Amino acid sequence: MTMRRTQKEIPPSFVSAPVAGVASLIVPGLGQALARQLWRGLLLLASLATSIGLFLWRVGDLAPHEVGLVAKYLKAFDRRELFVGLFTLGIVILWLGIAWDAYKQVKTDHKGGAGVFFIVLALLFALGWQVGEIDLYKMITEIPDAWGPIQRIAWPWEAAIDRDIEMIVAGAEILSPCDELPPPAAPVEMPDEPYVVADPTCGDLTTREGVTEIPGTQITLIGRNFAPNTETPIYWADPLGNEFRLRSEGAYLSVMTDENGAFEITITMPYRLIPPSSEGRQIHIVEARQIASVGGAHASTELMQCIEGIVESIIMGMMATLFGIVFSIPISFLAARNLMSGSTVTMAVYYATRMVLNIIRSIEPLIWVLVAVMVVGLGPFAGILALTVHSIAALAKLYSESIESIDPGPIEAIHATGATRLQTIMFAVVPQMIPPFVSFSIYRWDINVRMSTVIGLVGGGGIGLVLIQYIRLLDYRSAGIAVWFIAITVAILDYVSAEIRQRFV
Amino acid sequence: MLEIKNLTKVYGDGTVALHNVSFDVEPGEFLIIIGLSGSGKSTLLRCINRLIDPTEGQIIWDGVDITAADPQQLRTIRRQIGMVFQHFNLVKRSPVLTNVLSGRLGYVNPWSSVLHRFPPSDRKMAMAALERVGITDQAYKRADELSGGQQQRVGIARALMQQPKMILADEPVASLDPVLAHSILNHLENLNQEEKITVLCSLHYLDLIQRYATRVIGLRGGEIVYRGDRKAIRSMTDEEFKEIYGEEAERVSVGPHDGGVSL
Ligand SMILES: Nc1ncnc2c1ncn2[C@@H]1O[C@H](COP(=O)(O)OP(=O)(O)OP(=O)(O)O)[C@@H](O)[C@H]1O
Ligand SMILES: [Mg+2]
Repeated sequence: MTMRRTQKEIPPSFVSAPVAGVASLIVPGLGQALARQLWRGLLLLASLATSIGLFLWRVGDLAPHEVGLVAKYLKAFDRRELFVGLFTLGIVILWLGIAWDAYKQVKTDHKGGAGVFFIVLALLFALGWQVGEIDLYKMITEIPDAWGPIQRIAWPWEAAIDRDIEMIVAGAEILSPCDELPPPAAPVEMPDEPYVVADPTCGDLTTREGVTEIPGTQITLIGRNFAPNTETPIYWADPLGNEFRLRSEGAYLSVMTDENGAFEITITMPYRLIPPSSEGRQIHIVEARQIASVGGAHASTELMQCIEGIVESIIMGMMATLFGIVFSIPISFLAARNLMSGSTVTMAVYYATRMVLNIIRSIEPLIWVLVAVMVVGLGPFAGILALTVHSIAALAKLYSESIESIDPGPIEAIHATGATRLQTIMFAVVPQMIPPFVSFSIYRWDINVRMSTVIGLVGGGGIGLVLIQYIRLLDYRSAGIAVWFIAITVAILDYVSAEIRQRFV
Repeated sequence: MLEIKNLTKVYGDGTVALHNVSFDVEPGEFLIIIGLSGSGKSTLLRCINRLIDPTEGQIIWDGVDITAADPQQLRTIRRQIGMVFQHFNLVKRSPVLTNVLSGRLGYVNPWSSVLHRFPPSDRKMAMAALERVGITDQAYKRADELSGGQQQRVGIARALMQQPKMILADEPVASLDPVLAHSILNHLENLNQEEKITVLCSLHYLDLIQRYATRVIGLRGGEIVYRGDRKAIRSMTDEEFKEIYGEEAERVSVGPHDGGVSL
């Protein structure tokens, strides 16, 4: 006998179709409720309310200074007429759609009517576009501005090599701001040594007020006894140790020395980088630096830092995996249903363990790092801790599932040969456990090394820490090296872990 | 060699799987146990080597009461009783040879064998057992790479490693193609006739029962409802068979020539 799909008997509507329509026009969803479609009505009402609520929130954002809903709405319409106008139309259509839906519900025996939900979807999509600040135009047009950094990140290897260079350096001290005390004295002029004289030796740094820039004091630099006919960049060092090359209208500032090794140039004091709150006399240094000679190539400090960082990351991942495995094995027994189904007490332990593991697992390692940093401070240990915690939870779950799926047949068979308990475990249980165990452990190792490259971004040590430092210094070349190292490591790891796992499964 | 006296098994949930079952097994028999699904066949066989602890009754093996045996005695008794399973119960990921060698675990030193170390004599014996069931060439494959019929032959080889006096076979051919069933049962019959190994086997197909059994016991609802010797079985009709199995039994064609009754 074949089963026949029985049509569920639907109770007739309380009201006629036009009444239901009008009811929903007055209170959206009421018509559906009257047509004995309470859930549909509530869902539609909730959709409409959500759309309107989100819309009003956006309107409020677009017109933060206006008072009153109408004023806000008009202002918002002024600013984004397309969005506000279309959305208003959309809401009206949805409202009418709900009324039409109520009418149809009665008319056509509760059939069809997915159309009204498409209106809801369309509205939510439009809102999502707005809330997400999706701006394809900006994405395309601003590529040229980002092009420089992108290129440097994409091919950073120039920064991987350093050359020994001999520099001719001389500088002058500049006080900022000027005060009653005498400004720093000019350096002693020596016949053979290079020197720089600044005039004046005190002044104001460039600052910004709102969008207007207030340029700093102009200073004339006169240099003597430098190498002749050589490009000479000008550097600035502030009291905090920030050191950078001066720019003038975007381009790096440098000056050519004449045949006597002398130069003269006027500079504008750069932006202030130190907080305005810092007190006391602040002595800045302006320096002329010449490259006198270029020696052999060797790995740059940045390259070495990246190598150290990636090694640290890989070790962090390995340590976390190791700790994770060690701790998760005993826990996985507590989380295996087939082992714990003996009594109510063990079942309670099972549920408690499961719950704790699920909670730990649902918190990302990136967040665990923040917790770990609070406890043990910045550095690789925080990263290891965070990854370990997450690994324990994840591995315990995977292991316990493989314990649950173990085949009892072989255990029975080995037991029946007269084998001892230990023999039974070694011959029937372990062989079944090893493949998933190895597979999951390698998989976790893969994840951990991968994660270890990014948890440094929030203070967990390793290459991530190196990377975020370069990014903060806008040193895109060195950042590029770090990014490349991460990509290469992850790619190798991907391949290796897939290979190993394939052997075992 | 085996006496079962008033055996009763009540499971934890109150299911009475066996009720007051008594029978003897003589050396060299090929005793087949028949009965509907759920009639207690597996329970009976598992009580004999105490994979399941009986609730009441005695099982006397060569004068020793298995139900009262201490762990050391139990180990010695178990290793004399080979067991073959419906689903083969091989360790799927281990090589065939390891599966066969594991039949030796009741004999070897429990500690050294834990590291999968077996004396060379046992390895030779394992190859001989594989040869006996005709699958020497599969020795180094993983067990799950073999076909069903081959896997069951590994199961028999494993039981052989115990140098058993008796083999318990719980529906050894139920998950095999009917044609393969004869091949497996032939192997068991050879062991029974040549090595004088007693066989206790549960089976469903009437034609197989008639072909191999030297004696039959029928179970129904955990009680013995039929006892028949070779002659009685040969002349057993479908009607009698149905009486043991209940009315649901229907004729199913098994093998190339005979018809049989099955569930
Ligand atoms: N572990 C158990 N716990 C509770 N009841 C069980 C258990 N194992 C078997 N039973 C019950 O005991 C009865 C006998 O089961 P048994 O497996 O011995 O039957 P069987 O004759 O081997 O059946 P089949 O032909 O299906 O293998 C059945 O009613 C079964 O439901
Ligand atoms: Mg059974």
